[in-house]
Amino acid sequence: MAGYFREIARRIFAQEFRESNLTFKDGDDQYAPQYLLTPTGAKVNRMFIVGTLTEKEDVGTDSEYWRGRVSDPTGSFLVYAGQYQPEAAQVLVECETPAFVAIVGKQSTYTTNEGDVLTSIRPESIQIVDGDTRDMWVLDTAKQTLDRLNLLKDGGPDAAKSVEHYNPDIEHYRAMVKQALESLKEYQ
Amino acid sequence: MKETATSIKGKFLELGVEIPIEDIEERLDKLITKFRVPLDEARRSVVNYFLKEHNIAKSDYFAGQVEPPQGESPQVSTADISEADRWVSLRGKIVQLWDNDHESISQVGLIGDESGTIKFTKWQNAELSDVEEGKCYLFSNVISKEWNGRINIDLNKNSSIEELDEDIDIDVQGPSTESPQVNTADISEADRWVSLRGKIVQLWDNDHESIAQVGLIGDETGTIKFTNWQSAELPDVEDGKCYLFSNVISSEWNDKIQINLNKNSSIEEIDDDIEVGNSAVTFTGALVDIQSGSGLIKRCPECNRSLTKGACTEHGKVEGLYDLRIKAIMDDGIVTQEALLNCEFTEKVGEITLDDAIAMAADALDQAVVLDMIKNKLVGKYYTVTGPRLDRYILVDSIESELKLDDALLDDLLAEVEVV
Repeated sequence: MAGYFREIARRIFAQEFRESNLTFKDGDDQYAPQYLLTPTGAKVNRMFIVGTLTEKEDVGTDSEYWRGRVSDPTGSFLVYAGQYQPEAAQVLVECETPAFVAIVGKQSTYTTNEGDVLTSIRPESIQIVDGDTRDMWVLDTAKQTLDRLNLLKDGGPDAAKSVEHYNPDIEHYRAMVKQALESLKEYQ
Repeated sequence: MKETATSIKGKFLELGVEIPIEDIEERLDKLITKFRVPLDEARRSVVNYFLKEHNIAKSDYFAGQVEPPQGESPQVSTADISEADRWVSLRGKIVQLWDNDHESISQVGLIGDESGTIKFTKWQNAELSDVEEGKCYLFSNVISKEWNGRINIDLNKNSSIEELDEDIDIDVQGPSTESPQVNTADISEADRWVSLRGKIVQLWDNDHESIAQVGLIGDETGTIKFTNWQSAELPDVEDGKCYLFSNVISSEWNDKIQINLNKNSSIEEIDDDIEVGNSAVTFTGALVDIQSGSGLIKRCPECNRSLTKGACTEHGKVEGLYDLRIKAIMDDGIVTQEALLNCEFTEKVGEITLDDAIAMAADALDQAVVLDMIKNKLVGKYYTVTGPRLDRYILVDSIESELKLDDALLDDLLAEVEVV
């Protein structure tokens, strides 16, 4: 499809997101979207996560800049919302922790002086949700992660790029998915 | 790919433009490797890019500057022309001439022989005399081209036309027998002869002189666009009446399948009253956003359009009528899908009535509070919506929130990860 299309909100577990460090743009246009390629071959611009907001803190110096920590069965995501994400920031200001939150946002990366790439999410929206929605997300994300793992060997160019860059240990990510799925069983 | 790049470079050289081979390869590679475009498509795209870059008309490239034929091209039947970029000669009868408003094309239509028909394009710069419908000609040194997955032939500077004194029997590729009767939902491929019974749902304005009527016909399974060509010489159909369309052929246009009535087709009015169904689709995913223009809105009392700042694009400033609606964006991680909820479903999922919404907006002196409330309720949750697809939307006629974990899926996935 030519022209604008809406970026799909990818489903990624926190552990995989944290272990991602390959960013690129499609095209050299300054407005071309930036993507993060994950070890299982997800090409992420927008993402959708549901997890537990465990901490929140205003880390801004001049103006308010809120950092939230959202945990899933495999690890945690960092979420930053400031004056340009007023609605999301407002939710962080007002909500109690812990809380189940559903976040739609864009991936964002920061490279430290040591060359480490830190991943975080810049939220477009944060909503307080219930535990059922969180469980739905874990199952959804487990399925999509497994689907990507199954395609890693002979998938498209994104998968090939991931394999080349990360040489991912498939068992490592299967164990991550297993851990997430088992966590769903525990509460039943 | 190397070959393709070299051939593109060669063609541009003939036009007096030198393009570094690396530039061509880079663009091709990008298209093919990165964007997974098929070679033919990639070539097309690269050629168009450089034509634009160097301000060259497409017709110069495509019509004149193909590698000239080596000697006299072999005479073939239309049915034999199955590959692009072959120089051939063809004797046949002009079956149809189509309207053409492209200034670099002089004539376009169908030529046919005993084996079938093929589309031909006679380019302006070929400087050939015009052909007439119903007469027979020998087209020499014409080149086959592929466009939209179909083979057709081009007449260019290398070509010649000679009128023949014979009459050629044409196989118009009519249906071999009576076409099978199908439902609209079954028509999913182009170039199929089918018969269809349905009700005329809409007749559209049509100012194209070679089209008699165009509109939508529907049956229990859905609707499909039909075009009744002038040359078919068929009676007109009426809105709301039911007909049997026999021997109509499907075609693809802009990724959509439609049906065409031509000389082989017939129309018969039938007495049934067919209930037109909508081919409902179902989508499950997270509701990730709600677009502006959702929530409490006002509509024009004349035309029902939604108002922007109290004004209708058609009727200007009007006293609007309140309505509730949601334009939702759903996303299953693989694709996004827009869904449109009318007042009834907005009231249901938003757990608010239209009257309450009006009161709520009045209290806050702001219509936007309704949208905020709806967003807080819906965004970030999983839903399954069902309804007919219209354009890029699903017109929701059922929406269920997904709260129950799919235990079977959970067990399947667990079993999958436990296999070593």
